[in-house]
Amino acid sequence: MFEFFFKYPWEVYRKGTFVLSSGWPLWLLGVCALLVAVLVGWLVLRRPGPNARALAIAGLQWAVLSLLLLMLWQPALSVSSLKPQQNVVSVIVDTSSSMALDNRIGEAKKLLDSGLLDDLKKRFPVRLYQAGRGLERVSATPAQASQPVTNLGEALRSAVAESASLPVGAIVLLTDGADNAGGLDSDTMDAVRRSRIPVHAVGFGPESIRNDVEIIDAELPSRALPDARLAATVSVRQAGFAGRTARISVKDGSKVLATRDVKLPDDGKSLREVIPFSAGAAGAKAMQVSVAAIEGETNPDNNAVTRLVDVRDKKPRILYFEGEPRWETKFIRRAAELDKNIELVSIIRTTQNKFYRQGINDPKELERGFPDSVEELFRYQGLIIGNVEAGYFNSSQQSLIKEFVDRRGGGVLFLGGRAALSDGGWNKAGAAEMLPVILPDRKGTFHRDPATAELTAAGRDSLLTRIEDNPDKNTARWKALPYLADYQEVGAAKPGALVLAEMIVAGRGRSPLLATQSYGRGRVAVFATGGSWRWQMAQDSKDMSHETFWRQMLRWLVSDVNERTTVISEKQVYADESRVPLRADVRDRNYLPAADAVVEAHIMGPGGVSAVVPLLPAKGESGAYVADWKAEAPGSYLAEVVARQGEAELGRDVLTFRREDGVAEHFRTEQNRELLERIAQQSGGRYYKPDQTSALAREIELSEAGISVKETRDIWNAPFAFMLVAGLKAAEWLLRRKWGAV
Amino acid sequence: MRKPLAIFALVSALAGSVWAFQRNIRALFPDTYDDSPPADAAEKTEFYFARLRYPNVRGSGMWWSRGSWTVDYPKADRQFMQGVRRLTRIHANSMERIVDLVSDDIFNYPFVYVVEAGHWDLPDAQARKLREFIDRGGFLMTDDFHGTFEWEVFTASLNKGFGDRPIIDIENADPIFHVLYDLDVRWQVPGIVNYPFQRTYEYDGYEPKWRAIRDDKGRIVVGICHNMDNGDAWEWADSPHYPEKYASQAYRTGINFIIYAMTH
Repeated sequence: MFEFFFKYPWEVYRKGTFVLSSGWPLWLLGVCALLVAVLVGWLVLRRPGPNARALAIAGLQWAVLSLLLLMLWQPALSVSSLKPQQNVVSVIVDTSSSMALDNRIGEAKKLLDSGLLDDLKKRFPVRLYQAGRGLERVSATPAQASQPVTNLGEALRSAVAESASLPVGAIVLLTDGADNAGGLDSDTMDAVRRSRIPVHAVGFGPESIRNDVEIIDAELPSRALPDARLAATVSVRQAGFAGRTARISVKDGSKVLATRDVKLPDDGKSLREVIPFSAGAAGAKAMQVSVAAIEGETNPDNNAVTRLVDVRDKKPRILYFEGEPRWETKFIRRAAELDKNIELVSIIRTTQNKFYRQGINDPKELERGFPDSVEELFRYQGLIIGNVEAGYFNSSQQSLIKEFVDRRGGGVLFLGGRAALSDGGWNKAGAAEMLPVILPDRKGTFHRDPATAELTAAGRDSLLTRIEDNPDKNTARWKALPYLADYQEVGAAKPGALVLAEMIVAGRGRSPLLATQSYGRGRVAVFATGGSWRWQMAQDSKDMSHETFWRQMLRWLVSDVNERTTVISEKQVYADESRVPLRADVRDRNYLPAADAVVEAHIMGPGGVSAVVPLLPAKGESGAYVADWKAEAPGSYLAEVVARQGEAELGRDVLTFRREDGVAEHFRTEQNRELLERIAQQSGGRYYKPDQTSALAREIELSEAGISVKETRDIWNAPFAFMLVAGLKAAEWLLRRKWGAV
Repeated sequence: MRKPLAIFALVSALAGSVWAFQRNIRALFPDTYDDSPPADAAEKTEFYFARLRYPNVRGSGMWWSRGSWTVDYPKADRQFMQGVRRLTRIHANSMERIVDLVSDDIFNYPFVYVVEAGHWDLPDAQARKLREFIDRGGFLMTDDFHGTFEWEVFTASLNKGFGDRPIIDIENADPIFHVLYDLDVRWQVPGIVNYPFQRTYEYDGYEPKWRAIRDDKGRIVVGICHNMDNGDAWEWADSPHYPEKYASQAYRTGINFIIYAMTH
């Protein structure tokens, strides 16, 4: 219909540029239009008593005359079009296994074989490809979709690369858009844009999931201490089962570590659940997080994901400095003694000149009191500053405490007390900068009066404050805890700090009780009381609230503390991609970046894979060393990175990661229309639904890529132009009849 | 007739000599202490010296009516606390607190002192509460009971709650003897009844015994001072008639027990 009125299809108008082909100057057209307006105006105005009707008639007459003038200037469209049979069109069919769902591959084959392919072949030589991990040329339309990977980026890069030797006029991509190889990056899109080859994407598959429950993501810490309390943050989405109950499980092999029954959210919405579990004994573990299949589910293969957790047989040490004997010390020590993977070394000022040391490894340890050297302090991973005034520490020790967090990456906890925090002058100390709260600038902030504790919203989600696994029960348990023996005012939380628990004091309202924040490479917490011992003494001896809280507090202090050599990778699981970037952060004996280290990764993998990979200094980052390695075979890998400086070993670290093939294909199986539209838009192509492809071949003709010609197509003689003139005159005639001769 | 008269004369003579002896001791150690609360009694502190009020075993003599738990009270407690405040960094209250095993107030005081423990008679419910107090993390120090008979009275009540726990001697190397003061060398701390202290034992309690009950982790949770009287030593540390060496050891022992209780 459009073409009947406008002479050419809409694509020509969309792609073409409007021009006037008569060659006469445009200003002359303007002058003529103005003269016509003056003439018509004069004719109307010279009659007595001009009114609105006369003006309307005059306007119609002026419009007809102006339109005729415009037609004399010969309006046209300038468009580029491909030379027939001289440009190749690449037709790429996604044959990854997600295309087998809902018979998407069958639909694609049917679309191509029922006319689209022939339509294209009439105009262009066509090259047919199938895309999975890479691009492969095929002679017939693919009928099977069984490749474990979709790598659209690789497919597009290869197709574009062919334009170097072939006049590729366009790419037609038939896919569901599910790229699970992480290959469609900005570099790929830049390459496609530079080639100026339009990519026309035909999308298959439903745009939302149907009758399915899927684990979108599961976040687990990659490293943990033995028996650590960990949390799996699981995101689940569903369609068709809103309100039904599903069971989420965390397993180590066949051993179920935790389960949680959840009520499924509304269609299209996702659910986020934090499930605590115990890390168990030391070792590299493949934890499976799954949601039990529901009857009638269309895709049970996306109900489980695997995550690696490296449970390390380490025993971090925490130094606890206490300014005077008090009950908190005893009960913190007792809680720590229940944790065989934490060593709590305490030093207590019993008299003005005497210390009592507990948990020391040898008689010389802490013999002179609080450490005053990097070597002595940085051997610990965590630090607790109890009821001791800032002035007790000399300036060097105060700097060390800050460096302990900032440079060494340790965790520090400040407790409340009559000589702690503001009452101990910490508000004026350098360390105040790293505290998560703005300490009041006054004394008298410590009170030996009752205060009750309550979790904040952040505390509900935090593992640090998790006494009960169930979040609601945990919140209620905190509310039911006995009152604290004392409390300290600590001021407001700093921006970026996390207040996990508040204290409620009669007549004073709420204020932060437990606040945390990151500082430099480490972390800092303030627990504004020295009276949590009542949680132990005022509850049944079998109640473990106090012990659980303090064990988690101590583990929080040291759980993410980096040693002198730390190796990381971007992901825990490399799904359908083999490139594994490794990065090591290497520090010298003083925990300063080591720029002259020799760093090597010894990698072991499935089937006897063994490799030594050198890590080279990263540009512009002192102490950082990087390498890219290809993990070809699926399975679990272990990389031990060793850093040396001369003959001396600076440190070593172990990284575990996993390669999976064909698993990601089962996730996010609905059509990724957003991605396809983005590809099409950025390349100059279009997105099509399968039933809208009738104009595809014509659209391709108007491409500027390949061998094309520029042509001018007149539109002044399009039927619509004459119909417009006739319409305007008919309107004038009708108005004259209605109003009488004007 | 002659025989009863002889017995009467003998008993009268014995009673008279005991009365005379007591009078002599009271003259040296006068009971004139002003037990009104010290000025800072209301101060809120970290540590309170808590004395256990317990039911007496029948036939406890003159203390039966007052209660054996009141022996040396309150002077011993307050004088000891003066020492704790002066000699350590413990933020301690000058005045003792009285706790019992009936109410739950005892759970606010993790260190509890029992005097004349050889005279207590804990009902089952109180013995169970004492065990619960210890299991939650409390510490019990017992003192001033002597000889075999009082030991048996002491253990009869104790075992109602701690039948599963052996009572063992504390070795010299144990931290409780070193947490602040090194107490490798110790002697029997006598009560004032032993004045002029040529003899330091009472009944058949010839040797001082430092014993303990430990928890599953090996920590001392009940510190037992048997055949000694630290309470008298604290009470009469200000007396020129009470030897300094005994008072000094009693203070050191008490302070070590408190610091141990606050750290283990």
